[in-house]
Amino acid sequence: MRERSISGSLFDAGNLIFMLAILTLMLFPFVYIVSYSLSNPSMLKGGLVLFPAGFTLDSYKKALGDSAVLTGAGISIARSIIGPAVMLFFTSMAAYALTRNDLGGVRFFRKYFVFTLYFTSGIIPMYLLMGYLQLKGTFLIYILPSAVSVFNMVLIKTYMEGLPKEMEEAAVVDGANDMRVFFQVIFPVCKPVFAAVVLFECVNQWNAFIDTQIYNTMSPHLYSLQYVLYNTLNQFNSLEQLKEQGQKQLTAITPQTFKMAITVITILPIAFVYPFLQRYFIKGLLVGSIKG
Amino acid sequence: MIKAGVHPVKRVKSRNLVRNRYLYAMLLPAVLLVFVFWYVPLTGWLIAFVQYRPGIPLLSAKWTGLQQFIGFFTDTDDYVHLIRNTLAINISSLIANMTTAFLFAILLNEIRWRYFSKLIQTVTFFPFFVSWIIIYSLSSAMFATSAGAINETLIQWGVIAEGVNLLGDPRYSWMFMIALGVWKYAGYNSVIFISAISAISSEYYEAAQIDGANRFQRILYITIPGLMPTAIVLLILNSGWILNSNFEQFYLFTNATNWQRMEVLDIYIYKYGLQLLNYPYATAVGIMKTFISLIILMVVNQISKKATGKAIF
Repeated sequence: MRERSISGSLFDAGNLIFMLAILTLMLFPFVYIVSYSLSNPSMLKGGLVLFPAGFTLDSYKKALGDSAVLTGAGISIARSIIGPAVMLFFTSMAAYALTRNDLGGVRFFRKYFVFTLYFTSGIIPMYLLMGYLQLKGTFLIYILPSAVSVFNMVLIKTYMEGLPKEMEEAAVVDGANDMRVFFQVIFPVCKPVFAAVVLFECVNQWNAFIDTQIYNTMSPHLYSLQYVLYNTLNQFNSLEQLKEQGQKQLTAITPQTFKMAITVITILPIAFVYPFLQRYFIKGLLVGSIKG
Repeated sequence: MIKAGVHPVKRVKSRNLVRNRYLYAMLLPAVLLVFVFWYVPLTGWLIAFVQYRPGIPLLSAKWTGLQQFIGFFTDTDDYVHLIRNTLAINISSLIANMTTAFLFAILLNEIRWRYFSKLIQTVTFFPFFVSWIIIYSLSSAMFATSAGAINETLIQWGVIAEGVNLLGDPRYSWMFMIALGVWKYAGYNSVIFISAISAISSEYYEAAQIDGANRFQRILYITIPGLMPTAIVLLILNSGWILNSNFEQFYLFTNATNWQRMEVLDIYIYKYGLQLLNYPYATAVGIMKTFISLIILMVVNQISKKATGKAIF
């Protein structure tokens, strides 16, 4: 059905070139750091690096042998698994209760939660609260404040309201109580929306950096990988260490390749879950936008 | 029949409590967590009104009233650059992000080759999931004055004599921050527009084609008007954030040479609160920021309701 005109073809060609330019703009920084981190620094001539110059894994060996990087990876993995699990547990239970119009006070509770979306108390009251609760310098500070996500609660509730009511009613007739209805009937069929919110929370936890900076700077054993990367980018002590050890072992690493190797290590998990993220997240995003 | 002495409402209430005990049990943990981590810290706003000393209960501390709030405008000139930077960067970012996502979605829709358009969507969506530290790391790899890939290349090619200091020179700060935001969020923002385009009924396009409308006319008279409601809702939703900056972005990219063009309210609150330990002042600035944000959201919502019939509440 499409008509062929000169202006149309020109537009197609221009559009294609534009899209290729966008692709380059989005991809090049990643290609550059991966290639650079795999290069032998003595063979790099500067400028744009598309392919590794003199392939070597030395900077990765160095990074993965670094105790700070390993501790950071452990903390980041732990919070990216525990955080979403805890969030899903508390948030989905509450979301289910909020779908039940027969629950006394449900309108109040809906407002009670949604109210929190419009403003927050700010950084200082939160900081003082964490002090009172003795959560500073603990792992729990990564988990508890995000144990309930109201945004996700709204997404989950919207999804549950779209489910056929007959499922619930059948279970109630069979004599199941509300908790069993939720865990055995509702929970299994909510997989798509749960996948979306869990993956999103995973990424949030993996990418989180400022909570370490605010609450846990005094506890190096709780530094997340993002924070280790931040320190590596900003501090030069690791640079000096590298120089010393570099002279001893004559390995081909510069601070630059080392930084880029850690950057790549920090991106990799996101890249691995990205296919799932894209599939489930777009669905979740659209559920949210319909409601919004 | 209701027995004397038993109030009907009370009876309904207690029956509800018993019947729905499992539901309440499921709701309670979330209610408590939100109470502790959201409602309790709101009481911390009192700090802004008193002479705060650690260890002394807030209510018995000396009352200072609005002194901190007024001080923000009278004691220093900080508010000038803070409000200027915050508004300039955030409003430009909002416009830039919306426009690029809008145009990008329309142009992507014109790509006939499905696999190619899927590939572009996949690639452009990825930066949304990348942390600001990674972006900071990528930025220094790309744009550092002497060792950055772009500067090195431009110098090698003889285009410039010495590197452009994008990360440190305040002249480029605003533009650079807006560009980074577009890079990170264009793919994400376009997702909603792309789905809005696919929701436009194909009958419109067919009818237009029969009437002899060419491609540009179809974009201009069908696609763009079809996207407007979505654009307006997104604009309202985002207008409440005009005083809120992306904390991590500004925390990482603000430095000693560019701070005059980079310092935004959120960073200022952090600096005064957690680095200079002036809790009352930082809290006061934070409260003002929160309330003005809410007012902006309500005003934009009302204007939009009157002008277009679209509103979020």
